[in-house]
Amino acid sequence: MDLFSSHTLLFAGKWLFVALIYGALFLVVVAVRREMAGRLPGGQAPASTAVGRLVLQQAGGDPAARPGAVWQLKPDTTLGALPENDVVLADPLVSGRHARLRWDGAGWWLEDLGSTNGTLVNGQRLVPLTAHKIAPGSQLHLGDMVLELQA
Amino acid sequence: MSRLARLSPRRTERRLLLVIFAVAVLGFLLTGLGLAERQALPLASAILPALIPPLLLAVLFGGLHLVLRWCRLEAEQLLLPIVALLSTLGLIMIWRLRGESGVYQQVVRGFVPGVVIMAALALRPRWVEQLRRWALPLSLVGLALSLATAFFGVVDETGARLALKLGPLPAFQTSELLKVALIIFLAGYVAREGEKAEGRARPLLGWLRLPSGQYFIPGLVFVGMGTLALVQMSDFGAVLILGLLFVGMLYAGFDTRLFATVAAIGAGLALVVGFVLVFTWHIPTVVQLRFQAFLNPWSEAEMVVDGQPTGVTISEGPGYQIQQALNAAITGGLSGTGLGFGSPEYIPLAHSDFIFAALLEEMGAVVGIAVLGLFAVLLLRLLRLAALLPPAQVFERLLLTGIALHLFTQMFIMVGGTLNLLPLTGVTVPFLSQGGVALMLNLAEVGVALALTRRLEALPA
Repeated sequence: MDLFSSHTLLFAGKWLFVALIYGALFLVVVAVRREMAGRLPGGQAPASTAVGRLVLQQAGGDPAARPGAVWQLKPDTTLGALPENDVVLADPLVSGRHARLRWDGAGWWLEDLGSTNGTLVNGQRLVPLTAHKIAPGSQLHLGDMVLELQA
Repeated sequence: MSRLARLSPRRTERRLLLVIFAVAVLGFLLTGLGLAERQALPLASAILPALIPPLLLAVLFGGLHLVLRWCRLEAEQLLLPIVALLSTLGLIMIWRLRGESGVYQQVVRGFVPGVVIMAALALRPRWVEQLRRWALPLSLVGLALSLATAFFGVVDETGARLALKLGPLPAFQTSELLKVALIIFLAGYVAREGEKAEGRARPLLGWLRLPSGQYFIPGLVFVGMGTLALVQMSDFGAVLILGLLFVGMLYAGFDTRLFATVAAIGAGLALVVGFVLVFTWHIPTVVQLRFQAFLNPWSEAEMVVDGQPTGVTISEGPGYQIQQALNAAITGGLSGTGLGFGSPEYIPLAHSDFIFAALLEEMGAVVGIAVLGLFAVLLLRLLRLAALLPPAQVFERLLLTGIALHLFTQMFIMVGGTLNLLPLTGVTVPFLSQGGVALMLNLAEVGVALALTRRLEALPA
């Protein structure tokens, strides 16, 4: 049998075709897996024991707040003036639902929920409705209040 | 530093697109060589024409890749390759079945406008907000177009009224437009009225709560009008998809207690209406025939419509296409007959509704399973994106949920029909089947997902 007959070539091509498609599928799976690994370090479940706290630096217009006050953070923590928030900030310039802090297993993400006066991190204004990764030690400005993220 | 130097690399996407380009070159080459071998033509003459479609695909999807890099978007590098791979496999089958003219028709009417819309959405993500603002008028235009088709549309060669001809434009099918209109309508409506209506909900029975009628009656009216149009068109596959979209999006948008109430009432009403229809009026003829064919496509018994024999046996009538599809799948077996070596021309509508059967015959179950896997990843990516968006963006989240359901249910219904696991209803398989408007809309839906991905991007610190 002629090894280089068109029949053999087409047969080899058919399987190469299948191999390439599965190669693409393999790359897709690897990418998904890498993404998941980035979110869940060491393959652990998403840390329900998210480590982090907010420390009040400047009380702004909240009469009840004292600098040095500490809030322990949940993996999903809301900040705002309304009492239903996890972190209640009674400053007149803080919106009812102002911002949201989320733990992705490796770091904290802050999102401004479309507040009236915006949120600043280390002096930089956040684009509203977009999650931004923030480093431990960052200063968060909401209205006239300043909080420090400690992880 | 120039902007070009700072483009985001999108390495995963680039690597995948290169592999997919290889798939396209090899696939078209194999098809061309296979057909030439079978017709005893010189093989060398088949090589050059086989290189043009992969290059067209490369220009389109490669261009889109560059646009995304230009946007400096780093997130979500899998949507584009998945769509590109499915499109490539579909285009190979269309080339095999309809020749070059079929490919160019698909590229000009489907891929080019679709990819342009995707690029525009990626560059101008704010257009999605315009979509929210114009949700109601847009969806009503979609509904009006399909109603117009149902009553004034062009009758095609099979006697079905599926396409609408407006002025000098070529006739186009409007049922796809209706599904997209429903997605936009429900997303817009729930986003605008959702919170208010949930506040007005009344307790009904223990855990169940009844939402105020204002909340779900508009949706019901919209679906009712759409169903009327589709029944008039005898497009029952679209009715099924419309219903699944409605239920799925209400489930995603409603509070669980409200959804359970509405679902229970809806299921009860559907049962009552169904029984009334069965006993007093009649089930549409197409549905009766499809079910008989589904239960036993090889039966030599005569088909029965409203209790009257029709003089045609099931296996000669609607059972025939199911038989041909199953035969194709069996002929293909694990690895297929090889591109160009099968005989998918025996399958009716092999290039559109039954493209999955044709694919199974020539590429085999291995590739068929890969296609199902790609659709599963596509569904999960879109739902994941919907879940990652902020809870306040109700419209965008529901829009993505609807898009994911739309793409997945079409594939599910058609693959189920092809393998006789579901009664057969004609819908197109997204990205695979021939059909300009459907392909363009499906690509545009993925474009919406890409535009919303940009909202997740963190700015460089």
